[in-house]
Amino acid sequence: MLDAPTANVFEAVGLRKEYDDGTVQALRSLDLQIPEGEFIAITGPSGCGKTTLLQLLGALDRPTAGTLVFRGSSIPDLSDPSSYRSREIGFIFQAFHLLPTFTAIENVQIPMLETRMPSSKRKERAAELLKSVGLEHRLNHFPSKLSGGERQRVAIARSLANNPSVLLADEPTGNLDSDNAAMILELLERIQRERRMTLVLVTHDMSIAQRASRVIHMIDGHAVSDRLTSVNGVYQ
Amino acid sequence: MSFFTVVLRGLTRRRTRTLLTLLGISIGIAAVVALVGLSRGLNKSWAVGMKARGTDVVVSNMTSSLVPKPFNDSVRDRIAHLPHVDATCTLLIDLMSVENAEMMMVSAREWGGFAWHNLKIISGRMPNDAQEKAVVLGRTAAEVLKKKLGDSIEIETAELKVIGIVDGNAWVENGSVILSLPLLQEITGDQGRINVLDIRVTPGSSHADVQRLCDQINQLIPEARAIVASDSLNQSEVSRIVQAMSWSTSLLAVLVGVLGVMNTMLMNVFERSQEICVLLALGWKRGRIVRLVLWESAVLGLLGGIVGVIIGAVGVKVLGVTPEIRGLLEPDIGVRLIAVSIAIAIAVGVISGLYPAWRSSRLTPSQALHG
Repeated sequence: MLDAPTANVFEAVGLRKEYDDGTVQALRSLDLQIPEGEFIAITGPSGCGKTTLLQLLGALDRPTAGTLVFRGSSIPDLSDPSSYRSREIGFIFQAFHLLPTFTAIENVQIPMLETRMPSSKRKERAAELLKSVGLEHRLNHFPSKLSGGERQRVAIARSLANNPSVLLADEPTGNLDSDNAAMILELLERIQRERRMTLVLVTHDMSIAQRASRVIHMIDGHAVSDRLTSVNGVYQ
Repeated sequence: MSFFTVVLRGLTRRRTRTLLTLLGISIGIAAVVALVGLSRGLNKSWAVGMKARGTDVVVSNMTSSLVPKPFNDSVRDRIAHLPHVDATCTLLIDLMSVENAEMMMVSAREWGGFAWHNLKIISGRMPNDAQEKAVVLGRTAAEVLKKKLGDSIEIETAELKVIGIVDGNAWVENGSVILSLPLLQEITGDQGRINVLDIRVTPGSSHADVQRLCDQINQLIPEARAIVASDSLNQSEVSRIVQAMSWSTSLLAVLVGVLGVMNTMLMNVFERSQEICVLLALGWKRGRIVRLVLWESAVLGLLGGIVGVIIGAVGVKVLGVTPEIRGLLEPDIGVRLIAVSIAIAIAVGVISGLYPAWRSSRLTPSQALHG
């Protein structure tokens, strides 16, 4: 029996992004479909447009031309992009970007301040999320007292604060040693699998990309390959 | 954790800079409290002093000098018979250097006039007659001059004996050297001259009666002006000049505070631009970022205002006991001045935060993914 076709969470057609009045072309007519609940890796050399694509998917920037749609709604035409980021998107950054004057549990609560969740509920949820990433013993530690791996786990918990449907991760293991990198990757995979989230992960590292269900390779603003990866020798 | 936790953490991020900025606003607000408090004190001391003397209407010629201009004492004869005048008392009041005090209120009163009646003897006695070469000292004046009963006091070239220490029931009365009118007229060579005529109105007179009396006197006496006692200093040019100077000096100090807060908040926004971009990427609305910056600067203003009021209040208390001011005026820091000062401080904070808030709203969230 054939599975029903999965709906696309993102669709891009002829997506272009230029900077400096067109002198820099970060994305050149990119076509893309990202189905719901998939783990997609985007690879490519520096300057190929990976991060720009992530910015456009997260409504952090606007495309110069082309269409970019999230579940049928045009992202550049969203009336309230901050609300879209708050409800639908969880960002994970290479440099973690935790707020240094806030403890781990407070950092996780930061995105929840845009919701109407009561304070006690926010705290409770932040504690649960930190527990789910194995940091229940580090709730009241400031980022300066946490290791790199722990900081990224706090950042992952923060990205899940408002229960988004999509995680956008920009080189999430780029600042970590190999042990911590493996642990973070496993954590992201587990979260993606358990929550059936869409995970779009930008990486230079092909060994990391190979763990995704699909790898999009970019060069000079184009997607030059878009292929399924094999898991246990079986292409999905 | 709430939004205000984020506001407060923003301020504690660079504690030394926040404290220095806070000090800057505090000094501005302390200047407002101290200078305005002192100028209000000047008004209040005069008003309370006149009330203590039992004066309802004061006839004087308040020019731009600190003490009224002298006029002929025959004025009293033209006024005494007017309706609603119960009693009159002529005075010659001057600010003089008395021994070690550079400026002391010397209040010479018509012998037997009602201005003597409210003085309560603490020790010693009142003069036996208008010619006795003696003074009574308000209790603060006695402390400032370090005089006790039996001591001599030098006023210009005359040597007078201290025969009594009195409580005049008002700061300005207690800070005065009090003597009989003819004595001071003789010392200063102002025979037949006075500069204040106190009038007590007949009991039961209405405010309209008193106002009518003032109008009548003002028509009769061109060389002086009759004013209801409680309004006297408000209508004085020197009082207005003192108030204008105190407010303008205060506002200059406040302006320095504005620049200080604006500088701090701009630095704050520049240093935290990455953090602000991250907040935008995490879904914070631009309006919330603007509110964050404005609240931070408003809280800075509020704290600066509170500290400034404390510094100002303590400062004027200290000033009030210095020999130069003691006994001359009582600083007046009322609830209204405190509220106005704190409101100014908050306004300073908000106004100073407007430009940094606008700058913060121009940041783009895409910068969060760089660096």
